[in-house]
Amino acid sequence: MKKLLVLLFSLVLGIALTGCGGSQEKEQPKQAGESGGDVIKIGAIYNVTGAQASLDGPSLNGFKLAAKEINAAGGVNGKKIEVVSIDGKTDQTSSTNAASKLVDVEKVSAIAGFSDSNYALAAGPIAQTAGVPFITSGATLPSMPEQVGDFFFMAAFGDDAQAYAAADYAVDALQAKKAYVLKDTAMDFTMNLAAFFEERFKSKNGDSAILLEDTFKTGDQDFSAQITRLKALKEKPDVLFISSGPSDCGPIVKQLRDAGVNIPVVSGDGFDTPLLIELGGKGAEVDTYFATHTCLNSDGEKVKKFVDDYKAEYNKEPENAFAALGYDTMHLIADAIKRADSADPKAIREALLQTNNFAAVTGSITYADGKRVPKKSVSILKVQDGKFSLIKEVTP
Amino acid sequence: MMNLQKKKLYTLLALVALFVILFICNMLLSPYHMRIINLVGINIALVVSLNLTNGFCGVFSLGHAGFMAVGAYVAAILSLPLVKKAIILPELPKWLGSVELSFLPSLIIGGLVAAICALIIGYPVLRLRGHYLAVATLGFLVVIQVVITQLQDFTRGARGINGLTQYTNTWWVWIFTCITIYVVWRIINSAYGRGMMAIREDDLAAEAMGVNLTKYRLLAFCVGAFFAGIGGALWAHLITVVTPLSFSYDRTFSLVVMSVIGGMSSITGGVVGASLMTLVPELLRNLEVGITVGGISIPPLYGISQIVLSVVLIIVIIVRPKGIVGSREFSWNLFKKKKWNTMNQMEN
Amino acid sequence: MDSTYLLQQIVNGIGLGSIYALVAIGFSITYSILRLINFAHGDILMIGSYCALFIFLSGKVPLVVGLLLAMGFAALIGMLVERIAYRPLRTASEESMLITSIALSILIENLGILTVSAQPRKFVFPEVFAKNHELAGVTFNNMTILTVGVAVLLMILLTFFVKNTRLGTAMRACSENIGVARLMGIDINIVVAIAFAIGSALAAVAGIMLGGQYGRIDPLMGFIPGLKAFVAAVIGGIGSIPGAVLGGYLLGLFEILLVGFLPIEYTGYRDAFVFILLILVLLLRPNGILGSAEGRKV
Repeated sequence: MKKLLVLLFSLVLGIALTGCGGSQEKEQPKQAGESGGDVIKIGAIYNVTGAQASLDGPSLNGFKLAAKEINAAGGVNGKKIEVVSIDGKTDQTSSTNAASKLVDVEKVSAIAGFSDSNYALAAGPIAQTAGVPFITSGATLPSMPEQVGDFFFMAAFGDDAQAYAAADYAVDALQAKKAYVLKDTAMDFTMNLAAFFEERFKSKNGDSAILLEDTFKTGDQDFSAQITRLKALKEKPDVLFISSGPSDCGPIVKQLRDAGVNIPVVSGDGFDTPLLIELGGKGAEVDTYFATHTCLNSDGEKVKKFVDDYKAEYNKEPENAFAALGYDTMHLIADAIKRADSADPKAIREALLQTNNFAAVTGSITYADGKRVPKKSVSILKVQDGKFSLIKEVTP
Repeated sequence: MMNLQKKKLYTLLALVALFVILFICNMLLSPYHMRIINLVGINIALVVSLNLTNGFCGVFSLGHAGFMAVGAYVAAILSLPLVKKAIILPELPKWLGSVELSFLPSLIIGGLVAAICALIIGYPVLRLRGHYLAVATLGFLVVIQVVITQLQDFTRGARGINGLTQYTNTWWVWIFTCITIYVVWRIINSAYGRGMMAIREDDLAAEAMGVNLTKYRLLAFCVGAFFAGIGGALWAHLITVVTPLSFSYDRTFSLVVMSVIGGMSSITGGVVGASLMTLVPELLRNLEVGITVGGISIPPLYGISQIVLSVVLIIVIIVRPKGIVGSREFSWNLFKKKKWNTMNQMEN
Repeated sequence: MDSTYLLQQIVNGIGLGSIYALVAIGFSITYSILRLINFAHGDILMIGSYCALFIFLSGKVPLVVGLLLAMGFAALIGMLVERIAYRPLRTASEESMLITSIALSILIENLGILTVSAQPRKFVFPEVFAKNHELAGVTFNNMTILTVGVAVLLMILLTFFVKNTRLGTAMRACSENIGVARLMGIDINIVVAIAFAIGSALAAVAGIMLGGQYGRIDPLMGFIPGLKAFVAAVIGGIGSIPGAVLGGYLLGLFEILLVGFLPIEYTGYRDAFVFILLILVLLLRPNGILGSAEGRKV
């Protein structure tokens, strides 16, 4: 028994070492980007298991769909795209290991991934050090590119853009003077979104315009205490800004409306999930607005094509806007490779930086003035007749 | 039995060999493989220090990730370059905002603060036994997480501190790992260690024999926390980002799994458990690639590596409930007599 | 603060507490017999709610039948898990069983992601349950009434079962001393299987009520309630059924009241206060509120 175990252990260790060594030898002579002639390797790290899976899963689907379409149309510059995707497991250690593997072992030309800055900020620096462009498809913290470095790009707009758009809509269209804010303290995204909203709302309506800022935590299942406190407010707010992620927005709106609170609700792209309608039911029909990337129900040609293709490929509607963002990210990279006429990571970075008015499903992307946060339009959506409908599109 | 001199020589030679191999690896292997090797080292140190409390002393703690968090955050705040600190942590009190320590003192202070936390929490809590103690330490982990999330001025809350300098390299990790193993080995082979094991076996009898329960348990708990704190700090400066979620239940559970799978009351067990549980998931990733056989392509099944791993875990536990190594220890006698030296003769 | 506000928060707390209590009972029963901390218990809750989801979706079965079917299915899964993973470990250490339960939890969650996808599903009870009632300024809906009602009913049934049936007596005997119980001719395997079945069925009910109140379910939904139930069981005195119920309600009330009454800057510290309370309870009563001191053979 003991011998068997020793044997087993050394066997596993042996496999581990030869496995590592073997792949090392194979990959050693290759230069980054020149991955074997007629394919261009693009890395994708998404948290397809764990708490982030409901956002990152659709993103990866969209990303792969785009790659498939590009290859079906003959690839880029005569080369096929090969997507090397690794699961980040909603864990920073796994995510950084994945980034390192993509850069060092797979020698990819560019990496895409993540819908949350906690993971993008961990994996980004590895790509930065290796000089490989990293494009986060769904993370929206606007300061990320500055923090990580010149190889880091965002495909989505920053939280500032969407929060400002939401605040402007609340003030201009909804005539709101006083606001109530409920934010999730366990998420980077919701904290920033709430801060940007408050900043804008106060600048328009004065410092006392926020009546109450209440908090909850991702995964809280009961908001009755917060709602009771909201109802107990002496002065009634004109608008409720709910800074939550996709998993909590439905229950919050449902419980708010169940408790008889019918004040307009405004939020950001965290609300862009079918669950909002399914759960909010009639409640969500009552004045629920949010700022997001695009309206998947709109008649735009690009949007329609994307939705149809996604349905054909995966037998389901795109789950949320992150699917479209993943799809756009792949096309964005392919566009840069085409313009660079090279799979060299540095050339791709240069080309990405020159991106101007790239027509994507989620609006046109321009990296203006060397900034790596795109200038993109923000769509304001409303829940109507069991669907999202576009109220207006604003360009900051 | 070999004589002591010879054993010491062998150990020294093995150490030299280890570092020569690491040196060669560092030259030949890619940063990815070195990253995995470094993670193995950090996990070994974390698990061996966890074994001191959980295995040798019988204080079953689920709070190890909490101590990691304390060490990581303290070291991160101390070592952050002043320019960056002014931008991302502008609300820091002056005395903290204007210090920038080099890596070593940051690590040590991180470890010390973790140990102080262990002292504060341990003094009341270590009176509890069994599962009650496990819950209380789990509670400590939650409290630490909440405090980190809420103390925005110091920690940036959920946003986390990013952009840490990547100080952690092979040498920091493996020297620290060796020190941890050495210290734990010295402790368990001292009078303190025997006292701890006596407590684990039967605390009443140990107390009757004059072992001061609280003192011994606190010692094990604080030493464990100290190394956990440094381990956390090393981890933070390898990943370069710390967020409250970096040190959640998942982290604690994965450390406990490493510890039990290898063998809780054995240093060798800690080393084996940590190495396997770091390497195997990374190798299992290779299962998660789509396969194309004869024109039919099977898309990658994400999550399959976790499923395989958990099934293997259950099987290993059923076959060897005391872990792969059990409570035996590695010894040079192994090669001479073809027999494991049993640390604990009672076991067999 | 006026009294309506307090009452409202208490009603909210009782609703949440009922769910914790249901999960905690299952935790407690299996603990009392096997000394097993079953971290996979919360995942059984998830299985129960998905099972109910598929039955509800078909829309062909009445609510009560759906509930019973989900309970039955969860009970089966619970017994299966016990047979495969825990029975071989009957004589192993508590730590081995703990690790097995963690591994099982990872296994079930990832199988869930693979089979039903990570996307949260909507889980909505028929319209009538969302109907609000108002009594003395306190609002609550039919869902809350259903949750509390079902929880209390099941607890009464369980108490009757444990106190007045042969199997219940056998179960109590096993939790007193499993070795002696075996000598008395009790078939341990059956008792343990029944304990898992009951615990899992109650967890399934909790999962369905949780889904109904929250409106959505996902493969990872069980972990936090499972952990909270563990805490509740320990506060009440792990191994004692009334203790688990008391612990569940205390935890639910305490969580809601903390959020409701703490100054707003401190509500974020809620979980910290909950666990500090837990540690204090344990220090004052090391075996929980209703737990009896474990006999030590000196």
